Amino acid sequence: MDISDLKVSNNPDVTLVTYSLGSCIGLAVWDPEVRVGGMLHYMLPDSSISQEKAKANPAMFADTGIPALFKACYKLGAQKQRMIVKVAGGAQLMDESGFFNIGKRNYAALRKMFWRNKVMVAAEDIGGMVNRTIRLNIGTGELIMKVSGKGEGLL
Amino acid sequence: MDIESILKDLEQLPPFPTVVAQALTLLDSPDSSAMDVVKVVQYDQAITANVLKVCNSAYFGLPGKVSSLREAVIRLGNKQLKEIILTGTVVKYYKNAMEGYALSKHDLWKHAISTAIISRIISKRFPGVDEGAVFTAGLLHDVGKTILDSVVDEYFNQMFALVGEKGYSFTEAEQEVLGLDHAEIGARMGELWGFPKEIVHAIRFHHAPPEGDESDLVTQVVYLGNVICLMLGIGVGRQGLHVRGRDEILEQHGMDINDLQVIMAGFLDEYQKVQDIIDLG
Ligand SMILES: [Fe+2]
Ligand SMILES: [Fe+2]
Repeated sequence: MDISDLKVSNNPDVTLVTYSLGSCIGLAVWDPEVRVGGMLHYMLPDSSISQEKAKANPAMFADTGIPALFKACYKLGAQKQRMIVKVAGGAQLMDESGFFNIGKRNYAALRKMFWRNKVMVAAEDIGGMVNRTIRLNIGTGELIMKVSGKGEGLL
Repeated sequence: MDIESILKDLEQLPPFPTVVAQALTLLDSPDSSAMDVVKVVQYDQAITANVLKVCNSAYFGLPGKVSSLREAVIRLGNKQLKEIILTGTVVKYYKNAMEGYALSKHDLWKHAISTAIISRIISKRFPGVDEGAVFTAGLLHDVGKTILDSVVDEYFNQMFALVGEKGYSFTEAEQEVLGLDHAEIGARMGELWGFPKEIVHAIRFHHAPPEGDESDLVTQVVYLGNVICLMLGIGVGRQGLHVRGRDEILEQHGMDINDLQVIMAGFLDEYQKVQDIIDLG
């Protein structure tokens, strides 16, 4: 998966991978009952930047990409109450004043949305200056996170 | 491998292809015709092939397929032609995978072309900046990594300790542990290749534009292009985002975090069109 991308699957042999998140956020969801899962790699918090771009590619923004991810999973039979939700990314530069901190805004946008819609996050790894790659195994729901320079493990 | 032998090796650096240097000079000269450029470039098969591939990428958006150098020269403006020739040439310096930086060859090329494109988008907000110089410096800014990689690999643990525990940026750790950073090596390569001063300067200071020098627009633009590219996760590797954010550069040019977002969104449209250029890497 590339930047601003969304994929869902119900094929247990599939592993969805999103590389090198930077300040972007990788959101992985999985329903154990029907073994349906999906991943979103969004770049920016808010589609008010460009409605036109959000229309062409909802996965670019948190506010359009997150609902699109959930809806695409529902279509394959997933249900919200059962879905296991994990989040990674949102890194930042060495910048104390936060002038460049889009990662933080990306995460805040997700949190706000989940709060309003009562979505629980099962696991997350956010912020810092590290670069992350995540892989979601649709068959098992395992989410493996690789942090460059530090190795990989389950999230 | 240590830094002394790296610097010694640098003396043996193969020259920048003469045909390209000649072509770029011709494109700048008002007395030369497009056909003069063709005459110079056509004998270099590898460059010609790459130039045609770059021409035919969606990014340059020419309708129909360009099948000869002659046609390319006729159909493109000098400015575009310069970018295309450079892009088709510079790619060969990014042909190695890098263990030290944990970048595949594909990664660093993708980072170089993306930084060049983001920098060009940013230059629209910097009136008076030389867009051509910005694009060239963007393409070449990290070329020093290709040379420094083996030492970075060897001293990585030492460097990473400074980054992880002492709050060094990755470049500062290179300076401290190796004595030189990849930006300095890249600038020396640019000097050996005879690149214009402002491009060499932008390569040298792409991580740390000199403070208080607001006139140095090319360096500032490439600085911003590089950090935005890293934030997008393109060609990041082990360096991570251990790179300093310089607020005052945004402030000086009346930009804030919303402008960064607009730039990122604009870049993504272009990014989808450069896949065939990235595939050259
Ligand atoms: Fe760099
Ligand atoms: Fe860079």
